[in-house]
Amino acid sequence: MGSYEQPSAGGGASSNGSSSSSGTRPAEMDGLLAGAGYKVKAAELHQVARRIERLENVMVNSAADISHLASDTVHYDPADIGSWVDTLLTELNQTVSLPCDLLELPDLPTCPLLDETTTLDNRWVVGQNDQSHHSLTPQQQQFQQLTVVTSMEENSGIRLVHMLMTCADSLQRGELALAGSLIEDMQGLLAHVNTSCGIGKVAGYFIDALSRRIFAAGTIGTGSSSSYCTGSPSEDEVLYHHYYEACPYLKFAHFTANQAILEAFNGHDCVHVIDFNLMHGLQWPALIQALALRPGGPPLLRLTGIGPPSPDGRDTLREIGLKLAELARSVNVRFAFRGVAASRLEDVKPWMLQVSPKEAVAVNSIMQLHRLLGSDPTREPAIQSVLTWIRSLNPKIMTVVEQEANHNQPRFLDRFTEALYYYSTMFDSLEACSLQPDKALAEIYIQKEICNVVCCEGSARLERHEPLAKWRDRLTEAGFRALHLGSNAFKQASMLLTLFSVEGYCVEENEGCLTLGWHSRPLIAASAWQAAPEYEVA
Amino acid sequence: MRYMAGSNEVNLNESRSVVPLNTWVLISNFKLAYNLLRRADGTFNRKLAEFLDRKVPSNIIPVDGVFSFDHVDRNTGLFNRVYQPAPEHESQWGIIELERPLSTTRIVPVIIFFHGGSFSHSSANSAIYDTFCRRLVNICKAVVVSVNYRRSPEHRYPCAYDDGWAALEWVKSRPWLQSGKDSKVHVYLAGDSSGGNIVHHVAAKAAESDIEVLGNILLHPLFGGQKRTESEKKLDGKYFVRLQDRDWYWRAFLPEGEDRDHPACNPFGPRGKSLVGLKFPKSLVCVAGLDLVQDWQLAYVEGLKNSGHEVKLLYLKEATIGFYFLPNNDHFYCLMEEINHFVNSNC
Repeated sequence: MGSYEQPSAGGGASSNGSSSSSGTRPAEMDGLLAGAGYKVKAAELHQVARRIERLENVMVNSAADISHLASDTVHYDPADIGSWVDTLLTELNQTVSLPCDLLELPDLPTCPLLDETTTLDNRWVVGQNDQSHHSLTPQQQQFQQLTVVTSMEENSGIRLVHMLMTCADSLQRGELALAGSLIEDMQGLLAHVNTSCGIGKVAGYFIDALSRRIFAAGTIGTGSSSSYCTGSPSEDEVLYHHYYEACPYLKFAHFTANQAILEAFNGHDCVHVIDFNLMHGLQWPALIQALALRPGGPPLLRLTGIGPPSPDGRDTLREIGLKLAELARSVNVRFAFRGVAASRLEDVKPWMLQVSPKEAVAVNSIMQLHRLLGSDPTREPAIQSVLTWIRSLNPKIMTVVEQEANHNQPRFLDRFTEALYYYSTMFDSLEACSLQPDKALAEIYIQKEICNVVCCEGSARLERHEPLAKWRDRLTEAGFRALHLGSNAFKQASMLLTLFSVEGYCVEENEGCLTLGWHSRPLIAASAWQAAPEYEVA
Repeated sequence: MRYMAGSNEVNLNESRSVVPLNTWVLISNFKLAYNLLRRADGTFNRKLAEFLDRKVPSNIIPVDGVFSFDHVDRNTGLFNRVYQPAPEHESQWGIIELERPLSTTRIVPVIIFFHGGSFSHSSANSAIYDTFCRRLVNICKAVVVSVNYRRSPEHRYPCAYDDGWAALEWVKSRPWLQSGKDSKVHVYLAGDSSGGNIVHHVAAKAAESDIEVLGNILLHPLFGGQKRTESEKKLDGKYFVRLQDRDWYWRAFLPEGEDRDHPACNPFGPRGKSLVGLKFPKSLVCVAGLDLVQDWQLAYVEGLKNSGHEVKLLYLKEATIGFYFLPNNDHFYCLMEEINHFVNSNC
C-alpha cells in the first residue's frame, strides 16, 4: 500500500496518508480519519489499533455477556476512538496497558508515554477532561459554513430568496435606492406566494426587516431602529413562554442542562445554581424535583436568578422565586432564592451572587453568552470580563446552550444569508406545531430575533449567534474545559422528542456536546464546562 | 497482537496486513461499535447507533469545489442530500439554483447514491458517506443525490426499495437536474453494500416501468442465499466481517420468517424474477477480493450476463470491504477511474 497525499474533499482537514511515513508532526490529527468524523492523532494510530485489538479479543473471546456495554455503559465523545475504546475496556475490567514493546512502533518518538499518561490519567464516570484539542475541521473556522434544509419547490419561493440576497447585497454596498426598489418588487411577489408556510412566511419577515433597515439608514447603531426589535421585558417573557410551548428547543436546553447539573451536583450537600436569565423559571421545577428524588436525599439548593428589572414597581424576580420556593417546600427540598436585577449581564458583578466557598456552583446560560459579543472598542469585551468572573467562581459546572448559527460574521451579507437559511429551517419546524396561540406568538418571538440580526448594529445588535466550534475555542481560551455529555443524556433528549410527537426533530452528538435540529440541520447546541486547572490555561 | 496458530483468537493480524493503518482503525471501530448495536433477539439499539454515528451538516458554501444542500420530503420526513460542483463565480455561492438546468449543452450525470450499512447502519449525512459523495462529484464532474432511506429492522423490505424508487422519481422530475441538448435528467444509480442491493432492485423496477436509468454502479453489493458458498466459508471472520453478522442483517431486513433465497437477497436465485428482455441498464460491479460475499456478487454478474445484459466486473483482488472510504490505496483510485469512465462515456 503506497502512501498518498491528496487533498481530502469535504470538511476534512488536510490529508494525511498512511500514518507512519508521511512525516507529520505527532500532535496532528490523521486528516483522512478527520474527514470520516474521527479524531485520532497520527502518532497514536498504532496504540489505538492495539487497544482495538485488545477490545475485540475480549468481546469475541469472553464468555461474559457484553450487552451491558450497549445498555448500561455511558459512552462519551465517540469521535475520539482511543478514549471510546478505553471506556469499553475499562467497563470490561481490562487494564489498559502502556506499550512495552517499542519494536512495534518504529516511527513513533521514543517517549510515547508522555502522550499516553495525559490521556489516561483523567477519566471519571461523570465527564472527561478535554485537552484543548484542535478543532476537528479547521476549515470550518476559515470557511463560512451554511447548512441548508429545504422543501422549497415553488419557483416564486426561490425567486424570492434570490431577490432577498440581491437586496441584502445592495444594502451592504450602500445602494439604498436599488435596495428599496427590490423591496417593492419582493412585496409584490409575496402576493403570489403562499405566505402561510415555508419560504413565503419567513421571506415576509426578512423583507420586513430589510425595509426597516433601509428606511432607518442613518440611525443604525444609535438604537432607534432597534425599538421595534426589542420589546419590553414583560412582552419578551410572554413570547418566550409561547416559544417554549410551541417547539422543543428550550425544553431540550433546560432538560440537557439539568441532566448535566444533576450529575455535577452528585455528592454535594450545598449547591448553588446561577441562572443568567430567569424568565419564568421554567427550567427549575424539574431540577428541584430531581434533586428531591436523589438517592441520599436532596441538598440545600440555592438559586440566584438574574433578569431585567421590572419597570412597573413589581419585583418579578422575587415573585418567580416565591413560586419556586413553594414547589421546593412541597417536595421537601431546602431552598433559598435570590434575584439579581440587571438589564445587561455585563452589569452583574460576582459579589452580587454571594457565592460561598462551601457550595458547588452551577452557572446556567441559556442563549445569553452571545449577547456579550458586541464589542465597544473603548472597553474590554464584555464576554471576556464575564467569562473571567465566572471562572473565578470555580463552578462545578457551567451549562451553555446557544443557537447553532453563524450570525455574527463581519459582513452583513454573510450574516443575512446564514440567518435566512437558519430561520427558514426553524420556521419549517414550527409548522408542524398545531398549538395556538403558542405557534403564532412563537413566530413573533423568532421574528424579533430575525429583526435584531438584520436591522441592528453596534450595541443594539444583541443576537450575535456563533457556532459551537467558535464557542469551544472561546471557552477553552478563557480557561474552561469541556465536560462531555454522554449517551445517557442523548438517549433522554431523544425520548423527550418522542414525547413532543412531531417527526423531524433530531438530536446529534458532536464531540461531547449535543445538538437539536430539524432534520439534518442542527439549530441549538448544548455543552457543559468547568474551570480548567491553572496549569492547563494557555 | 501476535498470530497464534491453533488458538480461538480471531486472527486479527491478517486484516492488519492488507489495509493501511488508519483504514484498519476506521473499519475495526465500526465493527466493534456494530457488535454492540445488534442484539441477539434481532432488535437494534437505534439510539446508541445514532449517538455513535458521526454526522456532518450540508454546506451550501463550496468546500474543495463541492457544495451540498438537503431536500426534505414533507410527507415522508426523509431527505435527499444533493451535492453539486461549485458555481463558476463566488458571487453565485450560497444560492440554490432551482430554475435553470445544469447545462443546455453538455451532459452532466446525476448519480443517485444509496449508502451502505447492511440496511441497518449509517445515513446520508454520515461523515464517511458525505465525504465519499463529495469525492464522487469532484472526480466525475457529476451531481450526486444521496438518499436517506429507511433502515431495518424498524423498516424491513420493501421500505428501502420504495424510498429508492421515490428518490428516482423525484430526481427524474427535477428540471434543474436536466442537462444536455436533449434536456433530460441523465440518471445513474450507485451504492455500496446494501446500497448496491437497492440499486439493483430500483433499476429492475425502472426497467419494468420503462423509466430510463443510464447505468448501475454496485460497490461490493449485498447479495446472499441459503447455501453457503466457498468464499463465505473461507473468509468468514478474516477481514472484518463474520458470516453470522451477515445473517443477522438479512434476518433484520427480510420479512419475518423469510430465508435468504428471498428474491430481495438472491435476485438470480430459485425465487428470482427473470430480467430477460427488459431494458435493464448497463452495470459496473466492483467486487473486493477479500469480501466473504464475493461468490454471491460474482453470481450476480453471471446472472446479468445470462439475462443478456451488459455488465463490467471490476475485481479488486486484495481489497477488503470499505476500501473506498479513505483515498489511501490503489483500489480507491482504480475504482474512481472506472466510475468516472462509466458515467462520462456518453459525452
